[in-house]
Amino acid sequence: MTSDVTTESCPTCPATAADTRGVSRRGLLSGMLGLTAAGYVGLSAPGMSTRLAFASTPSAYEGDVLVVLSLRGGADGLSIVVPTGDPDYLMKRPTIGVPQGALLPGDGIFGLHPELKPLQPLWQSGAFGAVHAVGQMDPTRSHFEALREMERGAPGASLRSGWLDRALTQRGTGTPFQAVNLGDALPTQQLAGPAPVLAMSSVNSFVLDIADGDDATYAATELARWRRALTTMYDGASAPIAGPASAALSALRTTVGLKRGGYTPAPGASYDKDSDLAMALRDLARLIKAGVGLQVAAVEFDDWDMHDDLGTLSAGRLRGKLRELANALAAFTTDLGPRLADVTIVTLSEFGRRVEENGSAGVDHGHGNVSLVIGGGVNGGKVYGSWPGLADADLDDGDLAATTDYRALLAEILTKRCGQPGISTVFPGLADGPLGIVRAR
Amino acid sequence: MLDAAVSRRGLLAAGAVAGGLAAAGPALPAGAATSSAPRRTLHERRLHLLRRATFGPTPHSLAALSRGRMSHWVELQLHPGRIDDPEGDAVRALYPRLQWSIPQVRAGVDEFSWDLMFQLGQATIGQAAWSRRQLFEVMVDFWSNHLNVTNPSDNVWDNRHDYDRNVVRRHALGTFESMLIASARHPAMLRYLNQADSTKDAPNENYGRELLELHTVGVDAGYTERMMVDSARIMTGYTVDDDTGLFAYDPSIHWTGEVRVLAFSATNAASDGRDVAYSYLRYLARHPATAHQLARKLVVHFVADQPPPRLVSHLANVYLANRTAIRPVLRELFASAAFRDAPRKMRRPYEDVMATLRVLDVGLHRGSDRAAARSGLESLYWMVDSAGHAPSAWGLPDGYPDVATAWQSAGGVLSRWNIHQSLAAAWWPDSDHVKAANCRALLPRTRPATYGGLVDALSARLLFGRLPAAHRSAVLTFCGVHAGTALPADSEWLGWRLSHLVALILDAPAHLVR
Repeated sequence: MTSDVTTESCPTCPATAADTRGVSRRGLLSGMLGLTAAGYVGLSAPGMSTRLAFASTPSAYEGDVLVVLSLRGGADGLSIVVPTGDPDYLMKRPTIGVPQGALLPGDGIFGLHPELKPLQPLWQSGAFGAVHAVGQMDPTRSHFEALREMERGAPGASLRSGWLDRALTQRGTGTPFQAVNLGDALPTQQLAGPAPVLAMSSVNSFVLDIADGDDATYAATELARWRRALTTMYDGASAPIAGPASAALSALRTTVGLKRGGYTPAPGASYDKDSDLAMALRDLARLIKAGVGLQVAAVEFDDWDMHDDLGTLSAGRLRGKLRELANALAAFTTDLGPRLADVTIVTLSEFGRRVEENGSAGVDHGHGNVSLVIGGGVNGGKVYGSWPGLADADLDDGDLAATTDYRALLAEILTKRCGQPGISTVFPGLADGPLGIVRAR
Repeated sequence: MLDAAVSRRGLLAAGAVAGGLAAAGPALPAGAATSSAPRRTLHERRLHLLRRATFGPTPHSLAALSRGRMSHWVELQLHPGRIDDPEGDAVRALYPRLQWSIPQVRAGVDEFSWDLMFQLGQATIGQAAWSRRQLFEVMVDFWSNHLNVTNPSDNVWDNRHDYDRNVVRRHALGTFESMLIASARHPAMLRYLNQADSTKDAPNENYGRELLELHTVGVDAGYTERMMVDSARIMTGYTVDDDTGLFAYDPSIHWTGEVRVLAFSATNAASDGRDVAYSYLRYLARHPATAHQLARKLVVHFVADQPPPRLVSHLANVYLANRTAIRPVLRELFASAAFRDAPRKMRRPYEDVMATLRVLDVGLHRGSDRAAARSGLESLYWMVDSAGHAPSAWGLPDGYPDVATAWQSAGGVLSRWNIHQSLAAAWWPDSDHVKAANCRALLPRTRPATYGGLVDALSARLLFGRLPAAHRSAVLTFCGVHAGTALPADSEWLGWRLSHLVALILDAPAHLVR
């Protein structure tokens, strides 16, 4: 077989959609180029507008923007939403256990880690809730396998696409900004598959340097020259080459306008410029407000693999990590203001950690975990799920058991908040029903 | 435009032509991709070898390869000590501290300073770009990812450079068994995967798990969670002396009692478990599943994202028959028909930048200003870092992914286009910090008569072939001319716009693949 790159070992080629993959992407590209070109008629300097760029692109999507925040490395859910009322918790974690008196009020036996303080108003107002003992039904303690399987979301099925890709493909209502992967050079495999994805490290860096300058007219002319040449060159290349190039070329004119326009967050929204997570969420708020057709955003927040020095309330790795997470989410929700009504944020982590701490004041790979859910449609202030307990006999090989399939949570959000018509295509074989954690739009 | 009804295979076949070079082979009709790949000419086979076994062909390396047999060239590259390496020496001379021992570093460098780790990254780039021991540098990159110790990262500030020298580079073309054992007792690995503080009372499973899953037999080898725990127990006692920063064995923290991992078992009764650990590591290095995993990764890297299974099993057998020696495996790989006929592979960002530096003849800063030369390499480090692919900087122990699909990113392709322009125009790093590209030097001595001739000459120089007709015409349209338009001496495309033309040709999909 001959191709400029090989594609077969690709997790992004769904078995079912393989035959249409290249074609649909190309068809979409040519369609979009035509439409965006039409959208610019009469504008003296293309790239000056963000809204007009897709004004004539019909988008039937009217659901929430779904923000999937991946806490990669296996976050220790037992330290985040703490089962302080479970007698085994502090017994099994004499060093790193969070003392009861330090916790923020949660729900029932659960308290929230004190570093989540910036999110407490959301918990109290009901825009922030959690699901505990959530996880994959087919457990593995390997990071790489667990992450791959979680992002695929189809245990027992031979699908090779990611669950978010299947959701988008089924909707078929996209703009070039329908799915954005922010902050990371490598796209998440949740979005692997035929639906176009825009992966960018930041909005302001998403420019063609040669066509980025103070002279807007010159820049626009140069951008058009480069786009025309590059579009021809990448037209007909194989999918792994053509797909990202067409996504970049489609989005460039809009990002140029966004960069030129600058961005001022809403009053009170304080993003830490030293936090990659905060800066990614700031860009996300910017894209949401710009009305570019965002449906799904994937953001990664790494480095949760705390085999050592997870620490206590006064030292160690976890507290700073949680502080960064809470501050970034608080800034983001403040920045969104009333638009939070149309946004749902959910955290996922490939597995939780061992219940018992190890010899390094850390915890090894475990199983059941917590998911945090924030948004205007959340029935928050509560911890959902079925608590299996931390007594030896209740554990799954030493770990918190997973009593809720993480896909049930995602399915509920997709169905109620995103208007997903057929959830069985996204999550084949899902048996668990909704938890009630979000309201229908 | 292709008809919407063509099959994916047909599309890929067409993509091979559109994405590659017209000279790479005749266009296959849609649907004909079931036939074998087009036979490469000798010239194309040489280019193919240079694209895979080096960080990118140059006119010089192509000429050198063309003077002899390809197998001789491979043999020489497999023995890097026989290759004079003034360019690599010049890079190494900029970083004398990378030769320091761990105790020297602890005595002479500020505690927890990341300087040495960044210096290692910069020296790695300089050697990858300019060393004549190219295959060795490619293998250093390969093994650094296979036995990844993220650089920079906490806890390895004093020893990561030593890991590079005494584990990866020392054994990169030796035996995997020696490399594995060296990694298992190196303080960088012991700290990175928490083996240093794993004890019999509270084993830390991080290293014991990745030793099985990533370093040797692989996650599908059939070991259980219980075996994984035994793997961690066997290795207890391997630790780091906090005073010296060196490897230490501490029998008082070694777990004793029977252990079993796959077909390996030991009574493990003695408090000194070094013999058990040594036997265990040898067992793992020589396990058929390890042979398969390593062969597969090598074939993915050098041949195809979807590795031909027959070549994988052949190389696995060669590996086992040669007691884990790496040279015989590579020798067989490069001599195989599957390699000769391999489809193009996408260059990852690091490989793209290295190939771009090489083909543009960007070099180490000349002259006596060592600070300027180091600053140039520092700029290149941040350049590849911004593209998401600084050497060994992948944050997880599995190393950077090596297949195209993992790197599909709009931001990624855009950053490549920007890097091509920056290097071609010598924006950054500029000529005060590197021997910058001189686009005029890429032109033939005699000025081509037409713009078509100009584009062809640049394509031949940068891509070692002709652009496909559609791409050639896109480049000419970009310049606002026709192929036959006369090229005047004062053309802006020979002047201030020449770097744009060079960058655009490097943006072609043909340069995106190797």
